[in-house]
Amino acid sequence: MILYALRILRDQPFRLGFTVGGIALCIVLILFLAAVYRGVREGSIDYIRANEADLWVLQGSATNILRGSSILLQAHGSVLENVEGVETVAPVFFLLSSVTIGERASTVYLTGFESRTGLGGPPRLAGGRIASGEGEIVLDRSFARKFGLVLEDTVRIRNQTLRVVGLSEGTNMFVIQYAFVTLEQARNLAGYPGLVTCFLVRLKDPADCERVRADVREDFEDLEVFTHDEFLANNIREMESGFLPLLLVLALLGAVVLTIILSLILSMNILERRNDFAVLKALGSPRRTLRVIVMAQAFILGWAGSLAGFVAIGPLAGVVETLAPEVSTRIEMTMLGATFGSTGLMNLLSSWITLRRIRSVYPLEVFR
Amino acid sequence: MSAPRNNPIVLALERVSKTYSSDGQRVPAVADVSLEIKRGEFVLLLGPSGSGKTTILTLLAGFLQPTSGTVRLLGKSTAEMHPDDLQRERARSMGFVFQNFLLLDALTVLENVVIVQEFCGTARTEARANARRLLNRLGVGHLASRFPPSLSHGEQQRVAIARALANNAGIILADEPTASLESSQAGEIAEILGRLVIEEGRCMVVASHDLRLCHHAQKIIHLRDGHVVRIEKKA
Repeated sequence: MILYALRILRDQPFRLGFTVGGIALCIVLILFLAAVYRGVREGSIDYIRANEADLWVLQGSATNILRGSSILLQAHGSVLENVEGVETVAPVFFLLSSVTIGERASTVYLTGFESRTGLGGPPRLAGGRIASGEGEIVLDRSFARKFGLVLEDTVRIRNQTLRVVGLSEGTNMFVIQYAFVTLEQARNLAGYPGLVTCFLVRLKDPADCERVRADVREDFEDLEVFTHDEFLANNIREMESGFLPLLLVLALLGAVVLTIILSLILSMNILERRNDFAVLKALGSPRRTLRVIVMAQAFILGWAGSLAGFVAIGPLAGVVETLAPEVSTRIEMTMLGATFGSTGLMNLLSSWITLRRIRSVYPLEVFR
Repeated sequence: MSAPRNNPIVLALERVSKTYSSDGQRVPAVADVSLEIKRGEFVLLLGPSGSGKTTILTLLAGFLQPTSGTVRLLGKSTAEMHPDDLQRERARSMGFVFQNFLLLDALTVLENVVIVQEFCGTARTEARANARRLLNRLGVGHLASRFPPSLSHGEQQRVAIARALANNAGIILADEPTASLESSQAGEIAEILGRLVIEEGRCMVVASHDLRLCHHAQKIIHLRDGHVVRIEKKA
């Protein structure tokens, strides 16, 4: 039966090519959206995930740094340092800032941190070093690539010239990228010398988390204190409530389109071979045989298209990242496995739709 | 030449009528037909177009259910059989030969004869060996790897007969098996069908208006307007 299914497909080489190509394109679309979703999701939280702080202290009602604002006084830090069990308190200042690169302008998520502790700095460096002095900046690697910047190039923020001393990774949030300067530099650029956005706290014993949190809350009722995991979860939730679901909806639409294409092609094959199916029924073919013929076609087409899509997605993602470096994609084996599995489900659904059409093929038709 | 009297009845129509509805009108295709067909019997349904030959054939095969009366296949009423059981019985006990051969063009000659055996669960190796044997017997063994469209009509009909015999079916139903063939080929096919009854004791029911088949038939049922007008039995 599988041989017969193969022959039916082979008899129409152009249709076979177009069908596999169409399915491959759908798979590429689905995988690309999933890869962007994954890339943006991971890129947006890498900074927080890689941070070694045990506690994040923010202004009351601020729950995340992606779409929340928090303003604290530097003086809070001194009080936090005196809480029992606290080892280090590192202030961080976040500022959405315009940056000029030659004649071009863009925006970065400017992050001022203390190079002394390293807390709040870039999660990983792809080149160079961290900013440790006045007039230095570390740019996200994809941002630098987008504007053709390399180490020792300069950018301007609020009329100050900053030299690129490092390139960071894990700092691309797709819609915006982190840039790192010293805390003092960030405050000077903002014009608010005594303010910070949040404090990152390291404890002598991480097991003391709850007690220290309770102590801080007792001292400052207007502060929010989150453990590392809580803060990470808050930011993931915030990000996923944004445009990321849209990517998933688009991926889902791709899957629906794929199912429709496959169903139409299979139905077309059935209608063109209507007489053959009537003959098979007349000769005593059990229902299982017809099911196998249709399902074999669906799985051959679906999985051939998937494999073609898998082969194409890598180079395509590379091209997209070259043309638009801020589009961060992440392709994982689990993603390919899930897509392969989903294609299997779509094959089954398409077969089921097509098999319903076969019900209306009657063996009596061969006697006409 | 006639089937032994004590041979079992394999197919029977008991006062069968079949009426179609067309434009709100009821058109009788077969009216009050009773028939008994035994193993080893060659029955020819003879009559002009519209006489009800093909309707009787499809009733015997269980593709149609009668408006009234009973059709029995190996003693069981087809109306009372579950469709899956009927389909299984059809695959096992019946072989079909059609006017236009109706081979599957996407399969080779050999595969056409193998595929019907797979319906009955025959192992592939055995099915292929059996198919080769049948094709050789019908003089088309050398065409086993060819595809049906490259064959002459006569060759295609021989392959179709091999397919009908593949499951060692005791009943062969043939609908105008010589109508699409040239005269010499038609004669050969008629000979083959006749031999299958005489040499192998199969039951053959042929719907045709080809008088050449009369020579081989033991029972000729003359039909007109859905009625049996005469049954001619040969000694």
